Amino acid sequence: MNKRFRTVTEGKRSSIHRNSLFVLFLIPLLIIFAAAGSPRIITDQTGRQVNVPDHPQRLISLAPSITETLYALGLGDRIVGDTTYCDYPPQARLKPHVGALLNPSLEKIVALKPDLVLGTADSNRIETADQLERLGIPLYGLRAHSVQDTLSSIEDLGRVLGQEARARQLVTSLNHRVEAVQGRVANLPRPKVLFVVWYQPLITAGPHSFIADAIRIAGGDSIADDLTADWPRLSLEEALHRDPDIILFSKSDSFAPALDEFQNLPGWKEFRAVKNHRLYVVSDTINRPSPRLIDALEEVAHILHPSPPAAAPGSEARR
Amino acid sequence: MIIAPTRRNVLMLILALSVVLVIVAGGALAIGGVHLPFGELWSGLLGSDPHSEATIIVREIRLPRIILAALVGAALAVSGTVLQALLRNPLADPYVLGISSGAALGAIVALYIGGRLAAASPLMAFGGALATIAWVYLLGRRGGRLASYTLLLAGVITASFLSAIILFVLTLLSTRDIRGIAFWLMGDLSVVTDVQLRILVPVIVISIGAIYFFAKDLNILLLGEQEAAHLGVNVARVETATFLLASLLTGMAVSVSGAIGYLGLIVPHLGRMLVGSDHRTLLPTAALGGAIFLVISDTIARTIVSPAELPVGAVTAVAGAPVFIYLLRRAAG
Repeated sequence: MNKRFRTVTEGKRSSIHRNSLFVLFLIPLLIIFAAAGSPRIITDQTGRQVNVPDHPQRLISLAPSITETLYALGLGDRIVGDTTYCDYPPQARLKPHVGALLNPSLEKIVALKPDLVLGTADSNRIETADQLERLGIPLYGLRAHSVQDTLSSIEDLGRVLGQEARARQLVTSLNHRVEAVQGRVANLPRPKVLFVVWYQPLITAGPHSFIADAIRIAGGDSIADDLTADWPRLSLEEALHRDPDIILFSKSDSFAPALDEFQNLPGWKEFRAVKNHRLYVVSDTINRPSPRLIDALEEVAHILHPSPPAAAPGSEARR
Repeated sequence: MIIAPTRRNVLMLILALSVVLVIVAGGALAIGGVHLPFGELWSGLLGSDPHSEATIIVREIRLPRIILAALVGAALAVSGTVLQALLRNPLADPYVLGISSGAALGAIVALYIGGRLAAASPLMAFGGALATIAWVYLLGRRGGRLASYTLLLAGVITASFLSAIILFVLTLLSTRDIRGIAFWLMGDLSVVTDVQLRILVPVIVISIGAIYFFAKDLNILLLGEQEAAHLGVNVARVETATFLLASLLTGMAVSVSGAIGYLGLIVPHLGRMLVGSDHRTLLPTAALGGAIFLVISDTIARTIVSPAELPVGAVTAVAGAPVFIYLLRRAAG
């Protein structure tokens, strides 16, 4: 006993340099293992308590905006599954799909063995979260009702997924771009804008949507800002009465309206904005609370306030 | 084909259809978005490794859903059978008569008042179903007799009226609730909780058993109310009890699965073709047949557009609407 003890201490003393190096390597490993072994209970943005593993490695995204954000944070390799609507970046199309936003296949999700599923309150069903919870798969939910919400949900995602520095860097640069737009449009007259989510019947974006917020920041006022619903239906005559200066559409694969269509459409052809050819199509990133929302915001600012030749060179920098 | 309603025949019939149900359920268990080889299916079903992927998929996802489909199918088919007998109308069915819409409205109002769909909604759905049955029954009565087409029209109009009210209530709810409800309204079995199953299994099984108790009375009622009264049937008691039980079955089914159409209409007819119209053989046939029909429909719904899923109501409507038209033309001719 005694002898063995002495041998050990002698051995330790003799190789102290090597051992301390070994310990130095060991400490971070130990921290990682200890942390990974003790999942955190975090309140997500929808108010649910979620058991999140410390370093989630196998992610499933249930919304295109989340998929885009994950790629922007350099976490594309950790995505093991996404939805059939996840089309950006192009690599996202190649990931195994678990279904659509409202009705993903539970068994596909289970089979992909995720350690964390990411969803949004605005495009997924709460029932999906409940069902996954029953199966022991945590779902972390995000929600974004403004441009700032979108930025903070990017930061939040970075925090949950251990990419804080990268997320903060991304959000800082996005914030600079938002501020640049704000600075440029600050003292310009604000046109009245009708954003068309769908035109038959006319559905627009309510004031508590990130779309209306982006338009606000881009220097316009939505004509639906007094309506409370998220996606209010506006009667055509009310919209005509409110007389928007500019009509905005978002482009998508299935829907690309042309100006001349509206010049012949009953009711629509009476809009001053249609008569003045002030009907514009915006990239569909305006529908996604992801980093590219800021691209759309700049695009809208450009439409609402085409920069005069005298403007400062940095003011309309795009990416 | 007509099967004599002896006790032995009924038992054999139940046994035979149960075997078919088990085979169909086994098939449904084996099919899904994720392909599982037979060995894994079997070990998953036995649950030898509780944390394996196969166990979770088979026992936690597919099996509860198949049980739910079987229960809802049985409930709707028996409810349809009872309504067809009580109203002496071959086109009666909880969906066509607006009873499913009444139940759906009840469930949605519960949601509007109380937040989430799960808790109070079965009770409110039952209330909605019951109120609608009573209303349609009163509307359909003319001069003390049930007028077949008046009743049917009353049901159809009530259904569309209730749908309008549902749309109105939906505008009061937030967008995120609406999307879930819109899916549920089309008939959806994808959301199952253990609590739901624990309530549904006893309520549906006991209600169907209780209805079977009235099988002979339903046979006699088919002859007409006065004739039944002459033959010693307490018409009011039988009608009240079976209306209540049919509402309970419809309310339970709708509260968990939304409005699944046409199943309650066509399964009883298929049952009659198979065993004749004696309720002692028809009721068990409808119950098990409804279960088989909905398990098959739901398996189609969850696999045909995989990895996405269809609402099961879309599948039953595609199968059911043509049969309804066929029956309508035959009844008219």
